[in-house]
Amino acid sequence: MDLTRRELGQLAMGGIAGLAISKFGGAIASAQAAWKPNRSLIHGVQFGLQPFCYHDLVPSIENRPELIKRMLKNGMGMVELHSGWCEPTFSGPGVTGQQSREQLRKWRTSRSDDHFRAIKKEFDAAGIEIYTYYQTMNDSYTDAEVDASLAGAKLLGARGNVGSYGLRLAKKFSEFPAKHGMFLGIHNHDNLSDPDAFNSEESFLKGLAYGPQVKATLDTRHFTAADGDCLGFLQRHHDRMSSVHLGDRRRHNGRSAPFGEGDAPIIQVLRMIRDNQWPIPAILEFEHGTLRPQVDEVQAMFDYCKRALAT
Amino acid sequence: MLLRQSLQALACAAIVFVSLTGSAAAQLRGGTDYDVAYLGQPLADPVAQFNKETYASFGCHYCHGLNLVPRGEAPDLRRSTVVGHDTNGDQIVALLRKGIPQTAALSPMPQYGDLSEQQLRAIAQWIHYARQRDRIKTISEAKPGPGDAAAGKAYFEKSCASCHTGGFANIGKKYDATALRTQILEPKALAAAATFKLDAMPNAQQHAARDRHNSLLENYSAADVANLVAFLQGGN
Repeated sequence: MDLTRRELGQLAMGGIAGLAISKFGGAIASAQAAWKPNRSLIHGVQFGLQPFCYHDLVPSIENRPELIKRMLKNGMGMVELHSGWCEPTFSGPGVTGQQSREQLRKWRTSRSDDHFRAIKKEFDAAGIEIYTYYQTMNDSYTDAEVDASLAGAKLLGARGNVGSYGLRLAKKFSEFPAKHGMFLGIHNHDNLSDPDAFNSEESFLKGLAYGPQVKATLDTRHFTAADGDCLGFLQRHHDRMSSVHLGDRRRHNGRSAPFGEGDAPIIQVLRMIRDNQWPIPAILEFEHGTLRPQVDEVQAMFDYCKRALAT
Repeated sequence: MLLRQSLQALACAAIVFVSLTGSAAAQLRGGTDYDVAYLGQPLADPVAQFNKETYASFGCHYCHGLNLVPRGEAPDLRRSTVVGHDTNGDQIVALLRKGIPQTAALSPMPQYGDLSEQQLRAIAQWIHYARQRDRIKTISEAKPGPGDAAAGKAYFEKSCASCHTGGFANIGKKYDATALRTQILEPKALAAAATFKLDAMPNAQQHAARDRHNSLLENYSAADVANLVAFLQGGN
């Protein structure tokens, strides 16, 4: 994929703007050291997107060009890429679930490295870094399949595997990513009735104890809905975090809300990352309803964050 | 002179107001503020459209689907017994207020306790509307079975006879099986579009009849309808 002159200009401006702004002094320079200059590095905070935000766009190989197009429109330079954008599907009429699962396993363990290299090229050409690969592995994965999946993610340039694991599966897979020079990102939800779920600081601590290669992917929406303290978590565990999934919800298992209308301390989280020079990307994610096109909603969220960091 | 100027100013203001509100409405329906590609063309029925927009505005569709085709872990509201047993939205509204915190699912259903009564009722009404449309489509597309007149009679006596006290002695002569099926699914007498227009709104009796029919519709099986057709065709 070739960048247009305008996109190249925007990319350059993003990097230059980040370097040129002296208001935040060393904080920006230090935080930038963790990231290559790119269009969504804003005042020292690296923003990325969970493409789940484009709710109308089914993750698929066929839709990947549209994904990249939309990310460019939103000014994004980093992505947490779900495996669905990269892997073929084998389901169809007359194919049982078990058959399609077996075919996928076979594909994963026999695919060419060029498959993932070509995908990386597409994102590189657009100036989008694939920071993490979202693939929730489960008991149906063989060891060979886990390694093959992580090797594929590594070819994309991903620094870690992130998944909606529970404690048991996180422990099971905790040793695998390090073999590939990657981390395992454990992502929380707000199910407080499941003792296996990552839903609180205590449960994160259990997961982080599985090894230094395990990192917390703190979802501010779900952590807030589970009545957790996002700012306290950042203060105490920032050196064990892979990213924040940045979104808003109301407390007490409350609903998702547009940025600023829920209880998640979005502005404070961003300023804390900025002012402490933490290399923790803010991955935008939303599940609140909107009648607008999803690209417009992502832009509204991103603009909210930019305003939060402008002072 | 002053009066004429005032009247002209008033007229101009009214024109500007109409023009502005008109363009705002157009933008909401067809412009950039309403994602037609994702949400579908606005419905002709303004009440249903309002309910749908409320449902989508609070993100219900991300899990339950715009037309109730579920995504991910969410239960299928087209088959849910809670929705099937709900009357006037009461059960759904109560559930929305509290959410479902205790669940085996990865993400519990959130609570929507901060929404207004009107918003919660609109969400419940959309769920019922979408379920009704799905049931009509599913049963209409199914190949009709021969039907069991005795089972149809039992169904009629249990669910229909309290309102239709006179029965339908000659209805089998008036309608063929296909027309009867259509009448059972969507009675013509109740087919007037919902509206916010005061002089066209259904009266209390029509409302009650529509609610009762829709409640039955949401729980019809293809066999129920085939049995009713067989019963009604037989001169009951």
